[in-house]
Amino acid sequence: MRDVAIIGAGITPCKGRWVEKTYYGLAQMAVKEAIADAGIPIKDVDAVVYGIYNDIFELSAIPEHPVQGIIGMANKPGMRISCGGATGSYTMMTAYTWVASGLYDTVLALGVEKATDCFDFESMTSTPEVIKTIGWSGDTFYERELGWTASDSYAEVVLAYMDEYPDDLKDEVSAKITEILGEQVQNNPYAQRYGEKVTAEMAMNSRYVVYPFKLLETCVYTEGAGAIIFAAGDNADAICKNAGNPVIWVTGVGAANEHNVAGRDERHKVMHRILSDHLAAKAAYKMAGITDPLKQIQVIELHDAFIKQLQITMAEMGFVPLGRADDLINDGLMLPGGPILVNPSGGLTYGGHFVGGSNMFSCWSARRELISRGLERGLVHGTGSTIAQYGAVMIIERRS
Amino acid sequence: MAEKVIPVHMIPDVESEVIEIEGERYLQSNEAMFTFYKRTKGEFSPYFLALKERKGILGAKCPTCKLVRVPPFLLFCPECDFDPVELVEMPDEGVMNSTPPITYFGHSLFQHQVPFGRGRVMLDGADTALPIHVYTTKGVLTPRVFKRGTRVKVIFRDSRIGKPTDIFAVPMEEIPEHRRGVRGLQESDLDWESPVEPELPAPTGEAKKAYQSVLAQMKDMTSKVAHSERAQKNLAGWKRRIQVKTPGGSMGIMINEGRIDIQAGEIDAPDFVMVAGDPAIFTDWMNFRDSLTNAIIAERLWISLNREFITVFKLDRLPRSIKRTTE
Repeated sequence: MRDVAIIGAGITPCKGRWVEKTYYGLAQMAVKEAIADAGIPIKDVDAVVYGIYNDIFELSAIPEHPVQGIIGMANKPGMRISCGGATGSYTMMTAYTWVASGLYDTVLALGVEKATDCFDFESMTSTPEVIKTIGWSGDTFYERELGWTASDSYAEVVLAYMDEYPDDLKDEVSAKITEILGEQVQNNPYAQRYGEKVTAEMAMNSRYVVYPFKLLETCVYTEGAGAIIFAAGDNADAICKNAGNPVIWVTGVGAANEHNVAGRDERHKVMHRILSDHLAAKAAYKMAGITDPLKQIQVIELHDAFIKQLQITMAEMGFVPLGRADDLINDGLMLPGGPILVNPSGGLTYGGHFVGGSNMFSCWSARRELISRGLERGLVHGTGSTIAQYGAVMIIERRS
Repeated sequence: MAEKVIPVHMIPDVESEVIEIEGERYLQSNEAMFTFYKRTKGEFSPYFLALKERKGILGAKCPTCKLVRVPPFLLFCPECDFDPVELVEMPDEGVMNSTPPITYFGHSLFQHQVPFGRGRVMLDGADTALPIHVYTTKGVLTPRVFKRGTRVKVIFRDSRIGKPTDIFAVPMEEIPEHRRGVRGLQESDLDWESPVEPELPAPTGEAKKAYQSVLAQMKDMTSKVAHSERAQKNLAGWKRRIQVKTPGGSMGIMINEGRIDIQAGEIDAPDFVMVAGDPAIFTDWMNFRDSLTNAIIAERLWISLNREFITVFKLDRLPRSIKRTTE
């Protein structure tokens, strides 16, 4: 396997609705940004991997095909990945692998998604139809017709965790984390909730959408795009030197998909665990030589579909013990000035969640933090599918 | 007219519109992505036919490892070199595998069914849990009804067509003891106690004062809505007349296409009723300190129709919209 680095990254502003742009335009905008960041022409990119989650959002069964030419990738390989909420992570993992394997020297991972073009003509709002569109992702024989949604399926996992650890995930702690994300998002001018003030009290008092998830502790729906460019060893060094950017190396990747059916043991889904996150992190740590993540990782961009899920994922990835996720706040681990910086972008709750590209958004932010703060190591996480079935982790490093 | 696979009222007309943003004009049009199916249930047919035709529940048992999977979602056991599984008859009772979530804001096909619970029941003798709707026969579903380990009975719909919604689970303690062992209980066999409007205490001077205070604040809010485009959007296309009852007096909330009006006393032909033992619920709601949804979940606010949660959600949006307008 060859060494692989991130040589460029770009995202669009995150908006609840982009009336002014189609996903073609959003894709072009993100690629333009990433190419400019890397300081290379698009002709120097050998291949592209697309992260587009949901055909229905784009109103097309092959949504990537009109993008290939307009991003300057005509006559080159292009492949689409769709893995639920973890689409972006799996897309970047594929791009990484194409470079690491020696198949291509420079590969673009492009995530893009529309969402709120979907519209419910009964309530005259978008959200119920967006949720319905995601609802087609549930098991179509046994669950979809029960009103399956992403929210209620993740709520199942969180409630099962709370059954197992009734003294953890206190509402006050989740609300405090929400407030922290609301403060951190002010450092991200691309964020959907940039400029919006959210306090712990507001989060505590916001309404339930699906018990136990409250509105202000739930990710937003976003339209946008993100592009990350991966390149091999010496080539990456030269490109970054030319652009005046530090080289950010990918030193670990890992992924795991659990069973989609709940059962009594790990042959099926154990509902109070997010084993996918645990296994993905374990694999990525092994590859990167990480033995103590709390000491060795400084910045985490975590796919926070829901705040209480963020807490469980932090436990599954080894930053706190299972059953003590509230230590993230109680022990000051993710408080300002604490040892780990979690979701400096505002996360998917406050920054934005354009599904196919959300993990690119996270990667863009983690890389930005490594560079701007001079940090050593970051973690980018993605979760997706029903009951947090899919998990993917990537470790990125700035070598001094 | 027979029920359609796409509800007719959800289908928009063919038309387009222009939206102007910062001086630029953008066109958008009504479209849909739809495909009709005659979708086979294939190897799952025996399971769905058993639900539909004889009120039975099937599982799949591996003859080698003895795992019993419900529903029978596979042909072969991947744990045992893909040995073929055998269909087995399952009991119609078991326990909740974990505390089920309750959806208060459903997707567009479920807007009139909220709040509803979707959980997983570990039937007796099973190794995997059956996804299923959970209901209570005692009124609005709140988080206190179902917990991990709650013993439940699977109930069959009176009308069944071979779908997951042909069955649902209710707490066993809500089933009369002499019927708990009866197989194939149907929804019409249960006592669906009609929700009874809570009685309010006799009005006191303090309660009347609290009512008057809330009434004044509610009227003040209507003018704020009139100045908030965002709040008006929350109520766009919606018409409801809501009778609110508190110990100190009643009032009407009239929602009409982006407008909201408040009227003291009883109103004619309300669409539904809200009963609040403490009118401070509305003060907290207007000041963004609590939501009406949360008050219902905590059983501090009662509504006469479950399906009007959709209206409650629209109301819950207003305080934040007003706040964002004035900030």
